[in-house]
Amino acid sequence: MNRTRLADLVGLVCRLALGGVLLAAGLLKVGDPVGSIQSVVAYRLFDYQIAEMIGLMLPVVEIAVGLLLVLGLFTRWTALIGAVLMLAFIAGIASAWARGLAIDCGCFGTGGPVDPDDTAYLSEILRDAALFAAGAWLVVRPRSFAALDSLVFRRPGAVPADPASRHTSTPASKGAS
Amino acid sequence: MPRPPAHVPPPPKSGPSPALIGAVVAVAVVIVAVIVYVAMRPDPVDTGDASSPTGGASSPSALPNAGGIRVGDAPDDAPDVHLFVDFQCPWCGLLEEVSGPAITEAALDGDIRLTYTLMSFLDGNLGNDSSLRAANAALCADDQGAFVDYHAAVFAGQPAQEGTGWTDDQLIGFAEASGVSDIDAFTGCLEDGTHNDYVKDMQTRSNQEGVSGSPRVFIDGTELGNEQMNTLMRDPNSFPAILEAATQG
Repeated sequence: MNRTRLADLVGLVCRLALGGVLLAAGLLKVGDPVGSIQSVVAYRLFDYQIAEMIGLMLPVVEIAVGLLLVLGLFTRWTALIGAVLMLAFIAGIASAWARGLAIDCGCFGTGGPVDPDDTAYLSEILRDAALFAAGAWLVVRPRSFAALDSLVFRRPGAVPADPASRHTSTPASKGAS
Repeated sequence: MPRPPAHVPPPPKSGPSPALIGAVVAVAVVIVAVIVYVAMRPDPVDTGDASSPTGGASSPSALPNAGGIRVGDAPDDAPDVHLFVDFQCPWCGLLEEVSGPAITEAALDGDIRLTYTLMSFLDGNLGNDSSLRAANAALCADDQGAFVDYHAAVFAGQPAQEGTGWTDDQLIGFAEASGVSDIDAFTGCLEDGTHNDYVKDMQTRSNQEGVSGSPRVFIDGTELGNEQMNTLMRDPNSFPAILEAATQG
């Protein structure tokens, strides 16, 4: 019982951390399309057309996924998208680091080249790795406190009525995911 | 004979299934993303020839296809020096202050083919529109043959605090100080944003060519490294040696 509540609390923290960061990152970039495109160009990974598409559409996706995570709607799926995004960001930042580029990650809209002494690749990667871990937790265990999921999608039989029923349910019971 | 069992309808659900709702939300997000892409996408710029001013571009010294502003009229075989700057960028101001005079002088002497691309990405970063307005104003000055002095005047008049930008009065003051003769025409050009499209295209073309910040200096198409940039920003007499090293290589 106590462990369940603790895990629900951890889930809430993961949701707010991953969702909050994604929401902030998206909101900070969505009003600055030129800067957002240029931040992607700075990675020197994509053709301009692709960089432009990422620069303009990524903030929308970040806002949507971030908002849903904060609200706790479709937690497992939005956490999966968030975790995949973090993996992609880590790969991008690591690649910039490995190629010796001197850029800001552009995560929050202030991207582009910086003085080589001012790069913060390691801390950016560690931050994104922590957020990936938060997403992974929610994919494995999407239940959390104060999530709309449990309000909107509560149906009879979907959630065990009491702790005892979980132990009596047979392995063959449906809807185990 | 027993009656066949009556058809029993499945128990009514409380609403659409979570999967359906999820799919609808996902599609809605994709549609919004596509709308944002279509609505905010900068007009693509033809990255074709921009070798010399043709008179067809926005202002007399402007190269076609938003290729930048040409300074001087050096022959085609002179080394090509291309600077990417944003008027609000402090490092650009330092570069201009320290090495600007030497670079401009070489261009006016016909030793280099000098091009300035005026970027404007800092507007979005700083939350104002001063890069766009100052770049438009510089082309307004070019309409009256005063680009070089105007360009230098804006950098010399950079605010102490990055992001403060310039008022229209300040931009007009720079024009008066840099030999723009018809101030009324300049003011009209400034207020109308006559060259705004060209300025926005310069920003887009910079990104299309992979330039993602300022200042950037390219000599014969090769970007100067950090060390050379730092030298240019420190030593006012360093440009000739850097030019020579870049063109020898």
